[in-house]
Amino acid sequence: MAETPRTSDVDVAVIGGGPAGLAAALGAKRAGAGRVLVLERDRTLGGILNQCVHDGFGLFLYKETISGPEYAERLAENALREGVAVETGAMVLDLGPDRLLRVNARGGYSLVRAGAVVLAMGCRERTRDMIGIPGTRPAGIYTAGSAQRLVNLQNLRVGNEAVILGSGDIGLIMARRLTFEGVRVKGVFEIMPWANGLERNIRQCLMDFGIPLELRTTVVEIRGRDRVESVVTAEVDDRLAPVAGTETVVPCDTLLLSVGLVPENELSKRAGVELSPLTGGAVVDETLMTSVPGVFSCGNVLHIHDVADWASFEGFAAGERAARYAAGERPAGRTVRVSAGPEVRYALPQTARAGAAGVEWSFRAVRPLRDVRVEVRGRDSGRIYARRKFGRILPSELQKIRVRAAVDEDLEVGLHD
Amino acid sequence: MTDRPAVDRLTCVLCPVGCELEVARTAAGGVAVAGNRCDKGVSFAEEEVLRPKRNLATSVPAKGTAARMVSVRLSAPVPREMIFPVLAEIGKLRPEAPVRRGQVLIADVLGTGADVLATRTVRGQT
Repeated sequence: MAETPRTSDVDVAVIGGGPAGLAAALGAKRAGAGRVLVLERDRTLGGILNQCVHDGFGLFLYKETISGPEYAERLAENALREGVAVETGAMVLDLGPDRLLRVNARGGYSLVRAGAVVLAMGCRERTRDMIGIPGTRPAGIYTAGSAQRLVNLQNLRVGNEAVILGSGDIGLIMARRLTFEGVRVKGVFEIMPWANGLERNIRQCLMDFGIPLELRTTVVEIRGRDRVESVVTAEVDDRLAPVAGTETVVPCDTLLLSVGLVPENELSKRAGVELSPLTGGAVVDETLMTSVPGVFSCGNVLHIHDVADWASFEGFAAGERAARYAAGERPAGRTVRVSAGPEVRYALPQTARAGAAGVEWSFRAVRPLRDVRVEVRGRDSGRIYARRKFGRILPSELQKIRVRAAVDEDLEVGLHD
Repeated sequence: MTDRPAVDRLTCVLCPVGCELEVARTAAGGVAVAGNRCDKGVSFAEEEVLRPKRNLATSVPAKGTAARMVSVRLSAPVPREMIFPVLAEIGKLRPEAPVRRGQVLIADVLGTGADVLATRTVRGQT
């Protein structure tokens, strides 16, 4: 006999209880939503912050620098105090039409009907498979984040001599963390001509400990039968192809991969949310609403952030808009499209309602540049809606520009001399 | 020999803006700073060039709890050369749950003036 699954109705359902999701729930509550529910698949709230024990979080949200677990606890405490409902151990299996969520919860299979949904599922790390390193398949190869989890949350030692491929922030943080644990970090290798992590991490995690950073260099082979015995590095040319004759064998028993993050949008795809090939996340309008009405997106599932605080700020905004949608507010009118112009990888939001004013765009540079202006230009009129100077701009740093005026034509966000 | 002071280029790490500073040592033993977008840049450069300090974070296993690790950091940065001595002190810790966020696990570690703080709450076993 089929039983009717437990069904609950909420105003706003938030999928994911990390820095973006918790902020979204708070944003929804503060905007007047009645019942706000966070669904978190892990046993605890906080998401990836729980394993980020280093400090440097909270500078923008809390005006002081704290560690990831503290940031997570404070945000979670605020959410609970302000009346947000939370279910941990609750995995959302499907997001169907009319915002019906199918959830595998602690109490069994259940359904949640939501007035609005906020996607805040975060991201995953790119793996060896995704970058195709040839060689054997021994033990000792980790993504940087999984090594971080093993070291910080499970007290496990991942190896004795490590090589790190990729200069993303998690890889840099782990170079220092492994050094603290007595692991010898033999070098960080980066295929691009520039480092991918924040400058402060290069200085505090590598330079402080004399760990070399080799640019334009990658790992072309992994050797070892049961355990990694060495990796082969090689320099690359301008097309990022390995240069024959530059191979170096680096003995090590551990390889950490810090080669990029991918928004985790499996649920979004099932729900029919249009995704951007440039960000890997949803295409959103200036309210952070996706192509599916009533479904909003924020944080790393929308686009990769380098600072948790900014994922939270995006969460507050998405939550507020979700609350307004749940209360019956429906944006109306023509939309304009926003595209990435010269030297810009992407600009987000990708659309905006004509007449919207005060919209802030996030963007990333394609490569490091000096003395440039970012301009938001009207594609037809050539009018400059906003302009900001940068002495220096890096692809690793997500940047923002606000347009105060109302927008009423297609726009382009570009970098100009 | 030149009477122009050597210039050290460094990135201010007090916030993710990361201003590129040009720091020149002055004859008086201080520093002259350019490139800072706020006042913090000057004191940062002085400290970073003349007496670098670092905070540090790690985690230690707790006694008597299912959540096995307590993450910790320092209440204030310590001289960079104190990183490994302080880590050795932290390595001896086996805090007993319950531990609350902000709890001082070692006061004034090695006379640095900085406390070792728990950065997460670990409930006792029930």
